[in-house]
Amino acid sequence: MNRTHCLSRRRFLQSAGLALSAGALAACATAVPAADSGAPAAAAVDMEIWTFVNTHARWFRSMGEDYQAEFAGDFNLTVSEIAYTDMHDKVQIALQTGGVGAPDIADLEQGRFGGFLRGGDPGLVDIQDRLTEGGYLEDLVVNREALYSYKGKIYGVEHALTPVVLYYRADAFEAAGVDMEAVETWDDFIAAGVEVSTADVKAISFSSPLELYARQRGQDYFNEAGEVTLDSELCIETMNWLLALRDAHGIADQPPAGDAWWAAINEGKYLSHAGADWYAGFFKDNAPDLAGQWKARPLPVWEPNGLTTSCYGGTGACIVRTSEVVEEAWDFVEYTMLSVEGNVRRFELTSLFPPYIPAMDDPRLHAADEYFSGQDLGGIFAQVAADVPAQYQSPYRSELNTKLGAKWQAIYDLEETPADVFTSIANEIRDIMAAEA
Amino acid sequence: MGSWQRRLAPYFFISPFFIGYAVFFLFPVLWAGRLSLFQMTGIGSAPVFIGAQNYLDLLRDELFRKALFNTTYYALGSILLIAPAALGLALLLTRRRLRAREFFRLFYFAPNITSGVVVAIIFGLVFEHEYGLINNLILAPLGFAKIRWLLDAEFILPAVIVLGLWRWTGINALYFMAGLQNVPGDVKEAAVIDGAGRWQSFRYIILPLLRPVIIFVMTFAVIGSYNLFAEPALLTGDVAGGPDNGGLFMTMLLYMNGFRFMKFGYAAALGISLALIILVLTLVQLRILGMFRED
Repeated sequence: MNRTHCLSRRRFLQSAGLALSAGALAACATAVPAADSGAPAAAAVDMEIWTFVNTHARWFRSMGEDYQAEFAGDFNLTVSEIAYTDMHDKVQIALQTGGVGAPDIADLEQGRFGGFLRGGDPGLVDIQDRLTEGGYLEDLVVNREALYSYKGKIYGVEHALTPVVLYYRADAFEAAGVDMEAVETWDDFIAAGVEVSTADVKAISFSSPLELYARQRGQDYFNEAGEVTLDSELCIETMNWLLALRDAHGIADQPPAGDAWWAAINEGKYLSHAGADWYAGFFKDNAPDLAGQWKARPLPVWEPNGLTTSCYGGTGACIVRTSEVVEEAWDFVEYTMLSVEGNVRRFELTSLFPPYIPAMDDPRLHAADEYFSGQDLGGIFAQVAADVPAQYQSPYRSELNTKLGAKWQAIYDLEETPADVFTSIANEIRDIMAAEA
Repeated sequence: MGSWQRRLAPYFFISPFFIGYAVFFLFPVLWAGRLSLFQMTGIGSAPVFIGAQNYLDLLRDELFRKALFNTTYYALGSILLIAPAALGLALLLTRRRLRAREFFRLFYFAPNITSGVVVAIIFGLVFEHEYGLINNLILAPLGFAKIRWLLDAEFILPAVIVLGLWRWTGINALYFMAGLQNVPGDVKEAAVIDGAGRWQSFRYIILPLLRPVIIFVMTFAVIGSYNLFAEPALLTGDVAGGPDNGGLFMTMLLYMNGFRFMKFGYAAALGISLALIILVLTLVQLRILGMFRED
């Protein structure tokens, strides 16, 4: 009895050990194809895409179904929708570990993309030559590609044009006798804003950030060469201009954040907002009762013949270099992001106006928008497309934005001047850049 | 052979835990310790050995000092406000004549089982200065001016502490209640017979007998405070902690350096420093609270 028990335990231990070893070996082994049947197997492609935007995921899946139907072999697309922060963190970790568990294509948001460039090698495929050879650089609003370009390489294709327009409460401005179509310059806008602003109601707010206005003036926090330009005269002057909208003209103030911002919009406390194309959807979702009261128009210009728009936001589809299906991934990017059908369908599913010029005139992009008083919003976006400025990417943009983020309140409260803050932060970033050079 | 196997068998059975511990905890910690001695910034960058430079840089880093101050501020709030509040609540909830006791226990415990993310989002609305609940329903009726809780740097930490008070008081009260129920009734009766009043019974009988629970609560309050991330990050809407980094905690600074700025070596040094700070503070606290005393 005792002997049997002892033997049983030994056998169990041996079996358990064997199973554990087999499991460990299986985990360590690289995937091997099934036994060769002798006949050439149909090309099977398993592709994984990570995105943090639910509408992007829906669009990728929809395009994947069409691609599957046209693809000669077996094409299996997996689109994973992961929360914004988690997804970018996971992609970074995967790239840092040499591609372990990485997707084949990742949607990277412009605000996080700069971080991938730190160290010089983001682990993404440079698609500069592919874009050139395919003639796509002529088809795309090339300034939008600046976000994913660094040191002569291009690492992603931008989803959206993100043209910034002025959304305004047409009913309120009309009631005050202001013809917003006649407003040409920001000075004109200030004069119009004075007509509609009171102690509780403001023509505009500080909700649109400095960089948006600065880019409209051809300036940004970094220039094409990657140098810090936050402390440029134009950036400082633009920030002082923004503060003057409140302090000198009384047509703006600092709005509440988050849901409280939408409460204020619904209460009619703010009558305009400079925002990108994607902001149109925010109005519809958060202020549905104001349908028919808003309109959109190109931004007022800073000087005659100045730019009528800016850009704000963006997400690029990037191919991961360690992918085993780089060629197929590029083929899928071409099919989805560099085609009229793909761009039009993306607009239909995401409301993002495409940066792909051949798609801009498609009638499906120009339906009357009832929320915006029946306007052809697509027509307005297309009208300003040629003016969309470049936003130059930098590995240090995230660090600069983090430092700047902590100081906005002090600037708004006039505790510190834009000149002092911008100069101090710009110098800090320059020091960091020099130390890492 | 047989006896050798018999001796080895127990270790084999408990090995899965230790293998997991070594692979998923010990190795990463040791690796982080090694990484903290290198400069490694950016994906795919080659590590360069720089010795203790990352640690020296930490001492010069204004944000590190600010994060350390903020975190310690919150930890003190946690110890001086949340723990006493929890004890007071436990004393109330263990009163014999309390009606609907189970309801109150559940009521105060519920915040603890709510996701930190959800709590932070809701408290973001509660603290909003224009439309928020605290300013409009509590301060305004009392005639106080509105406070810009999340816009003025000096009010961010009090806001996080209020959030912590709401979230953690219930669970800590539960620990204290378990401790109070273990205080022998005859000891309390003996004290009453000897003429001890309520305060004296509490001060000289109940409190000393609660020492193990107090040590437990205090220790976890310190560890939890120095590991706090989701609540301040979401409340301020930014891993940098909002205006003037008023809500920047140590874990947020670590995350910021590791995942936003890709300073892997520096972030590792931060992580190791944070672990050492928690270790030292915990040991000091255990010593003060008499964890190592023989009685």
